[in-house]
Order: sequence, then C-alpha cells, then structure tokens
Amino acid sequence: MPEPTVIDSATDSIPKVHDEVSVGANLEFQRKWWRFEHIVWSVFFLILLADLLGAFGRGWLAKAHRSTPDQALTVDYERIARASTPSILSLHFSPPAIRDNHIQVFLSDSIIQQLGAQRISPQPVVSAAGEGGITYTFAATRAPAIVQISLQPQFPGSHAFRIQLANEPAIQASTFVLP
Amino acid sequence: MATFILFRAVFGYLFLVLIVRIVGRRPGKQLTPFEFVLIFYLGGLTLTGIVGTEASLTNAITQILTIASCHYVLSRLRARSTRVTRILCGVPVTLFQQGAWHTETLSKMRIQDDDVMDIARESGIKSPSGIGTAVLETFGEISILPTPSKKDEPNA
Repeated sequence: MPEPTVIDSATDSIPKVHDEVSVGANLEFQRKWWRFEHIVWSVFFLILLADLLGAFGRGWLAKAHRSTPDQALTVDYERIARASTPSILSLHFSPPAIRDNHIQVFLSDSIIQQLGAQRISPQPVVSAAGEGGITYTFAATRAPAIVQISLQPQFPGSHAFRIQLANEPAIQASTFVLP
Repeated sequence: MATFILFRAVFGYLFLVLIVRIVGRRPGKQLTPFEFVLIFYLGGLTLTGIVGTEASLTNAITQILTIASCHYVLSRLRARSTRVTRILCGVPVTLFQQGAWHTETLSKMRIQDDDVMDIARESGIKSPSGIGTAVLETFGEISILPTPSKKDEPNA
C-alpha cells in the first residue's frame, strides 16, 4: 500500500485556484483601501490648509490681541502655539500706562512657567515676585512703548495667563499649546 | 515628562507606518533617488519632533526600546491576524491576467504597463502575450507568471 502524501499545515493553508497557488489578490479589500487612501489624502489636504491658515499656530488664525478698556495696554499674543517653538508676547503701552517715566505691569506665573518666558526686552528696572506672578517696572519716556517677551512653551495644553497694569483691569487670555 | 517622550516615540512610529503605507508601493527591486529622498527626509523630520530638545542618552535608549516594542507588537499582530496583515502590508494586486490589463488597478497603484513589461523582459518575455499573470506584490516587486504555452517552449 503506497504511503500517503504528507502535506504540512503551512502548505495546506496556502489557497489554490484550479490547482495553482493563488496569488492572494483581494480586489475587494484593495478597493476599500483605495477609498480609505482617498479619505486620508483629503484629510492631509485639510490639515495642510488649516496649517497654512494658522490653525496649528504661527499663522493668521493663531494671532490674537486684547486691550484694556482705555487702550492703555494692548497685548498681542498667539492663542495657539507649538511646544518647544519660540513665539512673542508683545505689550503695547499708550500714554495712560506711563506714569512718572515708568510702566508697572503684572504678569502671572503661567507666562513664566507654562508658557516658558525666555527673555524680556527691554530689561525691567525692578522685578518683584508676589500675588501669583511678577510685577515688572520698566523705564519709559513717551508713548507708544513696547515690551516684548520671548516665549517657548515646553508642554502641550491650555495655559491661561493674566497681565495687568497698575490701577487698570486685568487682561485675561489663554494660549493653547500643541504638541 | 517621561510619559510624553515615550508617547511621542509611539506616535512617530505609527504615523510613519501610516505615511509609508499611504504613499504606496513602487515597483522595482531598488529604491530610486526619488524614494531615497522621501525615506531620509521623512525619517529626519520625524526624528526632530520625537527627540525635540531632549537629546540625552537615556531618552534615546527609552525611545528606541519603545519603538522596538511597538514593532514587536505589530509583528505579533501581523502574524496572528490576516486582517492586520492586509492593513499593514496590503494585498497583492493583479495587474495583468488572461491577456488583459487591469487598468483600474494600474491607475490606482500609479503603475504603467511599461513598468510591467520592464520586469517581463527580465524574465525573457518580449510581449504581453507571453505573460500569464502579472502581480504587484506587497513588498513592491512585480511578479510575472508566464503563460503555460510560453513556459513550455525551450527558449522561453
């Protein structure tokens, strides 16, 4: 009696068509994949468009500004920023902000910590820590005056901050930091 | 934050897997200069985002271990599941069979009939009539199965 042909499990599991090994083509799956690819390319296009508009920071949609009611202080900031990427927080002062050739402004701790303040230009004459932030005193001549703070946030998330001139209502805003 | 660093490594790996899968297969046994640019540029850009400012040896080792673990998990899933294999690697697609070009597949895979004939000539096949089946494999090569009559000819 002849020995039966032994077919191992690996060989047995290979699909065959008309006794020929099937190439394994699966057009139904491939058509689904092409549809998926089409959707993904559309998403890629939308992401790039949103990026060009500034939806992910460093663009038109990301820029924002707030002012006190009397326009003594206007803050230009980025409502959307990117982690480990430099950005600038600009404080614009008009005549009511300058008293006795000095400008005194309070910045909340979140600007220093979460938003990663790196450098303040010009340098303040006096810095005083307290009340959840730092009060800076800058020497000033006449308006308009600008103070710029270089930021470089390290961690993603929404970070609220507060900026206040002496005897003025506070400006409160937040920056959303993307990873 | 250590968790964030490892998350960045995982995200970078999975994102690159998706991008390479979406960009698609190209026929040929060797990378063209065009594809070299893609591979190195994607790798470099991903590296910048994953490593960031944290260029310590500890960071490098933990991120390498993270990516190795991700690769191991995906490989295990791929070995166990046909569905995962199809998603990660794709399926072979037929480009030519029974004397007819599969034009939809050629177009969607961004392959020209000349690409198929290039490979066919390597097998000594001079015209489409000598091709039984042409398949674009998951690893990017085009396999040519000659027509049975041609295969039996002594000079084929």
